[in-house]
Amino acid sequence: MSAFAALSEAGYRAYVRDKTTLFFTFAFPMLFLVVFGLIFSGKDVEQSGQPYINYIAPGVLSWGVANAAVFGVGFVLMQWRRDDLLRLIRMTPTPVSAILASRYVLALAIGVVQSVLFVAVAVLPVFGLSLSGSWPAALPVLVLGITAFLALGVIVGSYARTPEAVAAVANCLMIPMAFLSGSFFPLDAMPSWMQSISWVLPLRYVNEGISTAITGEGSSTDVLVACGGILGFTVVFGAIALKTFRWSDRA
Amino acid sequence: MTPTSRAPDTPAVELDGVRKRYGDTHAVDDVSLTVARGEFFGLLGPNGAGKTTLVEMMEGLREADSGAISVLGHRPWPRDVELLPRLGVQTQASPFFVRLTAREHLRTVAALYAADPAAVERTLSSVGLTEHAEVRVDDLSGGQRQRLAIAAALVHDPELIFLDEPTAALDPQARRALWDVLRGLKSAGRTIVYTTHHLDEAEALCDRVAIMVHGRITALDTPNQLIAAGSTVTRLVVPAARLSLEDARAIDGVQNATTEDDVVVLETLDAGPVLAAVEKLAGLQGVQTRTASLEDVYLELTGTSQS
Repeated sequence: MSAFAALSEAGYRAYVRDKTTLFFTFAFPMLFLVVFGLIFSGKDVEQSGQPYINYIAPGVLSWGVANAAVFGVGFVLMQWRRDDLLRLIRMTPTPVSAILASRYVLALAIGVVQSVLFVAVAVLPVFGLSLSGSWPAALPVLVLGITAFLALGVIVGSYARTPEAVAAVANCLMIPMAFLSGSFFPLDAMPSWMQSISWVLPLRYVNEGISTAITGEGSSTDVLVACGGILGFTVVFGAIALKTFRWSDRA
Repeated sequence: MTPTSRAPDTPAVELDGVRKRYGDTHAVDDVSLTVARGEFFGLLGPNGAGKTTLVEMMEGLREADSGAISVLGHRPWPRDVELLPRLGVQTQASPFFVRLTAREHLRTVAALYAADPAAVERTLSSVGLTEHAEVRVDDLSGGQRQRLAIAAALVHDPELIFLDEPTAALDPQARRALWDVLRGLKSAGRTIVYTTHHLDEAEALCDRVAIMVHGRITALDTPNQLIAAGSTVTRLVVPAARLSLEDARAIDGVQNATTEDDVVVLETLDAGPVLAAVEKLAGLQGVQTRTASLEDVYLELTGTSQS
């Protein structure tokens, strides 16, 4: 078994055995879907004439997947470093890339399961999302989005030294970003300056890409633009992540 | 790698003028020493003496400020993936992959070293954890955690093993069992560098010990040589009922005599004649002789001796 496979397996086992995190990773976005879905049930957004669910479902899904990626790797890196597990790994010939790749594969798997469950609930008549034929275009957006936010999570997990710090920093980044990127509230109903600001946030591009793909509103160019935007953030976050990665808090 | 760097005549560890400071503190101050292949080397010293820093520099976890470090013919810093599989490291932190069982943890570590998966069961049994292999690492007792951490240092069959207070949390039985494991490793030709606070253990196991105080090596020799070179005072303990303090002090060669509870303790540099004199005065029944142990030497060298 390769180091990558062993770390992925260890990560998978640790993940599925942590029932609380497991539950909240999947239940939290669902909770938002239910709350917003019921509040705005059957209503349309005035500015665009689109049903609310077309905004909320892709928005909450993007946020849920991004949030899981940031928190997942952030907590694990902080914990592994604090418990000296990274030092143990450092004393083996395992390359850093195997550690990060194992977390990446896990994050992708979690994101895919999250998305499938989420969409399955969102298309129920109560919420009324109708899936467009262009939905497969959401997959590359999803994969790129997870990559970008995983890199962000590596930065958070390298910077933070305690679980409290991981939660504080990650929430501080993700909650305002969710609102400003239109995850919980349609951007079309927000002031235009706020819509302009949203383009500096990576989550905006994920929202845009997933929303375009699953509602069929907009063109394939929109998905490409979204992918390009996320790719840009991925490169920047990835470079910072590799710079900030530390094996130990002490050395 | 040139074949010559693997020549068995290169020492396991070679330090020359190694220094490391943190701010104004000289954690390690000009340390030079050599550990031969197959040697069981003990590093003793009070907490804060710089033992851990020194060992971490050998392991390649820290960079020395100055001086040369060679481990199995390689420089351990920066991280050298050629060297790492030949080293086994146990730290006091006992790091584990959370929510895995003991066996799963060890299997993961073995895979990280690209070691033979069959070594997992063998290593578990060598540290006596076979029965607890299915227990989650979070639920293991302190001693079991420590044994698992040691197993993780041994699973890839390393040539040079660093152990940081490996017997600290063990009960006497587990400690003796671990002594057997360590002796087995030594007889298999492995080199062991370890730190400990158990001086009896260092005396029983180590070929040589270094005593470290304030970042410097103050003594380095075999336990027997250290004891011989250190305190040469022998103490004779005689039941007080059979020998008075005055008589004891009158014996030729007795430097000092004191009463402790129900015994008289005689200190002498030459135990033979004194013992003969005691035999005449009180007989030898119940008389004990106490020669210096490594602990006496240690306390003397580290400046915490009471006398």
